[in-house]
Amino acid sequence: MTHASKIFLKDGEDEFTYGDLAKFVSGASAYFPVIKTASIKDFFYRLVLALANNKDVLLADEDFKQDNPELKKAGFLSDEDRELAPGECFKDVDLLISAVEKSTSNIVLFSSGTSGQRKIVSHQMQSFLRSVRKSATSSKDLWGFAYNPAHMAGLQVFFQAFLNANTLVNLFGKGKEEIFSLVDKNSITHISATPTFYRMLFPENNTHRSLRRITCGGEKSGASLHAKLLRIFPNARINNIYAATEFGTLLVSDGEYFAISPECSGKIKIEDSELLVSGKLLGKITGGEGVNPPCADGWYKTGDMVEFADKERRLFKFTARKKNFLNVGGYKVNIEEVEDAIRQMPQIEDALVYGRKNSVTGNVLCADIKLLPGSELSQRDVRIFLEANLQNFKIPRKINFVGAMERTNSGKIKR
Amino acid sequence: MDKTSELENIVNSIRANKGQNAILGIQDSANLRSDLGFDSFDLAELTVNIEDKFGVDVFEEEIVETFGQLRQKLGNCK
Repeated sequence: MTHASKIFLKDGEDEFTYGDLAKFVSGASAYFPVIKTASIKDFFYRLVLALANNKDVLLADEDFKQDNPELKKAGFLSDEDRELAPGECFKDVDLLISAVEKSTSNIVLFSSGTSGQRKIVSHQMQSFLRSVRKSATSSKDLWGFAYNPAHMAGLQVFFQAFLNANTLVNLFGKGKEEIFSLVDKNSITHISATPTFYRMLFPENNTHRSLRRITCGGEKSGASLHAKLLRIFPNARINNIYAATEFGTLLVSDGEYFAISPECSGKIKIEDSELLVSGKLLGKITGGEGVNPPCADGWYKTGDMVEFADKERRLFKFTARKKNFLNVGGYKVNIEEVEDAIRQMPQIEDALVYGRKNSVTGNVLCADIKLLPGSELSQRDVRIFLEANLQNFKIPRKINFVGAMERTNSGKIKR
Repeated sequence: MDKTSELENIVNSIRANKGQNAILGIQDSANLRSDLGFDSFDLAELTVNIEDKFGVDVFEEEIVETFGQLRQKLGNCK
């Protein structure tokens, strides 16, 4: 039985119990179909409220614009709240958790499409439950929350913690000193985060013994980062996860190499060094390339390239994505989407977006922009325009105004 | 212009790109995240601009925390 006094979420100095959450859900007369990430407490409270009541939700970043045409396309016309019948039964914390687990809500997320347009991906609870481990041991876990809660990885951690009635401590966007202080003060046992997040923790001379499990996701992580993490978290085991907005968490590995487990065989395969996922594992996808993503014979092409370490034992690692995608701090950016957005500016003749290796985020986005003759623009002008049209992580951080761009024989810009 | 002023200009250009006001006379103790308001993407932008200006990847070995540590990486004394 989960006590109402058990802490659900800690954010800075604020603490919220499972009892608070249950009181909120049971007393609500309206729910929010569009939930943004401005306040993590509001985000989770509103998410639980909607799921417990089997209402569909759209999860969006803080900078998501209300007049975005994709909202209308997905059937979410505004972010105003909608009426709800009271839910007295949700006063009981365990009944609330069970209601969320059994929810029939559609959870709608955004993902970059392969052809440059953003996709809308709709999941049901089973996409998340597949990777949630519930056990007597898990009930004692204490999670450091280090992802954007509106993205797949963040939701995966949220459900793992919530369905086990664990405490979540918000670490997202916090500085190194505060993170270590929170880890020690709360005896955090589990963190799942991107390598960009972990890189920000160094240098660190102290050891922190409470951590038992470190999960790396979103970007490739190497042996040297793992070794550095084990020096400061000596009691931790490290694993990597492979997940995507389109299909949730798919693979977990203990080291650098992944394997197609017996449970996954038949649902994942490798063809021409590309990972393919069975269409049966996908969420419902709209926008971008059309109603369904390009599937060859029921298999979805992920665009993630792999190389085998041991073909017989089917051990492989991820190499690079296909050329139009770039990983920036754990977020996947479709280069064509960014170029198309820049070209919407009337002063612009052409644009080329590319990545540059970076010690902080792995890659940083750069843009070469050719203006139309007689036009003038500043970097700030470009930023302001893009901020109204793209998520923060898709905005190029180095903008160069160039005189000419080379083109290939077929007329495409030479990269 | 000395290195400190150039570094300050780079920091303030990143702030300007975000629509934030410039800070004059940035203290060595100023924390890049909590005092200057930089997130990971801003820090990435910072490294790119410093690298283009000074030829140094200031975060290559470690992620420095303060403006003073940045100046040290560039081998400057006020």
